[in-house]
Amino acid sequence: MNRQPANILDRPLRASRAGDTMVSMSSFAYLYSELVQYHQNRVDSISELERRLESSGYGVGLKMLELLAYRSREYKREIRLMNALQFVSTTVWKSLFGKPADSLERSIDHADEYMIVDYEPLTSTFVSVPSDFGQLSVDAYMSGIIAGVLSGAGFSARVTAHSVQLEEGEHSTAPPSQFNSTNLPPRTEKAVFLVKFSPEVLERDAGMDR
Amino acid sequence: MSKATSNGQQLWNKVPKANAELFALTYGALVTEVVRDADENLATVNEKLEKIGYSIGIRCVDEFLAKSNSPYCKTLAETAEVLGKTAFRMFLGIVVDVVQHSPSSFSLNFQDNPLSLFVELPENYKELEYSILYCGVIRGALEMLNYKVDCQFVKSPLKGDDTHEIKVDVKQVMSDGAGEDYQEE
Amino acid sequence: MVFLHLFIVNKSGGLIHHRALSPKAPQIGTNEWLRIGSTFHSLYAIANEASPMKLSQNKNVSGADDGIEEIQADGLVLRCLQTRTGIKFVVTAEPGTSDIDQVLREIYILYTDCALKDPFYELEMPIRCELFTTSVDALIRTMERSARLGIR
Repeated sequence: MNRQPANILDRPLRASRAGDTMVSMSSFAYLYSELVQYHQNRVDSISELERRLESSGYGVGLKMLELLAYRSREYKREIRLMNALQFVSTTVWKSLFGKPADSLERSIDHADEYMIVDYEPLTSTFVSVPSDFGQLSVDAYMSGIIAGVLSGAGFSARVTAHSVQLEEGEHSTAPPSQFNSTNLPPRTEKAVFLVKFSPEVLERDAGMDR
Repeated sequence: MSKATSNGQQLWNKVPKANAELFALTYGALVTEVVRDADENLATVNEKLEKIGYSIGIRCVDEFLAKSNSPYCKTLAETAEVLGKTAFRMFLGIVVDVVQHSPSSFSLNFQDNPLSLFVELPENYKELEYSILYCGVIRGALEMLNYKVDCQFVKSPLKGDDTHEIKVDVKQVMSDGAGEDYQEE
Repeated sequence: MVFLHLFIVNKSGGLIHHRALSPKAPQIGTNEWLRIGSTFHSLYAIANEASPMKLSQNKNVSGADDGIEEIQADGLVLRCLQTRTGIKFVVTAEPGTSDIDQVLREIYILYTDCALKDPFYELEMPIRCELFTTSVDALIRTMERSARLGIR
């Protein structure tokens, strides 16, 4: 049996099909549940819990950007804001969750805000937020990931997660995740990730239009 | 192929999946937090990670029992086989070798470790048992099945070994049931 | 084919969940529920000890403690699933209701998905996870619908 080179930098990054390595969704869910509980025991407020989850996700986002960039044959650094967002909502999402995000929208009211929508956010799949926790979204971790990817790519943004009630008849039109889905009943809420870019990012991007 | 192995494969094919890299990076984020909060006292970190594993173990065992249709294991050897061949496969997709040392001890050997996909231990972190989470999971799960065990990493590629080896020693087999209160004197 | 009630008892005999599965289910007050839970837990163990036939080590084929599997009465049927980890899932139904065992097994699975993976659920404590109750309701509706349509 081949012994791996001792130095981790010399080992293959399992580039070819590495992104396909899986664990069961349950394993991720238990691990994530422990991460949430770990933070929950150390905070005094719901917003602090969300911030800590975002912060945990941020580092993951940075690393995912590196991994995906390394693996993609034709990765060109995105320099336009819309392309960076599309990279997140398609490539990053497909890699992490087995399917692209359900939609990417621009805010009507605020020029610096965009929304990425997911009808089945992974991190809240098995979670029931108690009523006394108000508007807590445990998908804050995913916001952190988004923020990490964007920041790493040069598009710093503040990203927050919001659980929004689905409207009558509203549902995902995307094909199901290739990671298989649970047998749980359809969700009543979707996750909306609000991306608010820094002013200098918007200025820079607008400047490229001229 | 044993029944435990084929059962493990079937279950693995059926269960919903998640990206192992997301899993690995999430664990990395957790370890980072624990290390920071323990002021880099690695013995404390190991203990904390093991406890987190225990918390997972006492929960995932019910999922295994509910979903796996595994036959009732009457001996430790059978339990070890099912743990290594079915459970590890079902939850992590990895192939595990089970080696029985004695009626009260066995080892689980495996190559692939989804927890440590991108990890290398820096020099001053050699005391950190990075994947000790598994030991806690095994300890918790077996405790719910009335085995009180000690669980240790004996070999780890992060420490220079070729493979992973987790050794499980049974300290006590507990009797259970509320029935004890109602037995005739 | 009507499912009436579900209740769940933890390994210490504490009632951690109760739910009416149909509008036909009689109303039972909270204190009564607590009494039902602990009484059933004790009866389960007593039945094991009182039984003239003992299974090896008092364990049934799935390795769980042996005890009351079913109670048949004029107005209802009660079935219990005891897990190896000591939890009792109990469902009552109108006589003639089929597939109660399957319902119990599915509820056990829902417990493992919707309660045990919820960071806000504490083991052995009352189950208040909305996802669990929603999923149980959906399960019962599915079972009753397929029974009505004769689907197997």
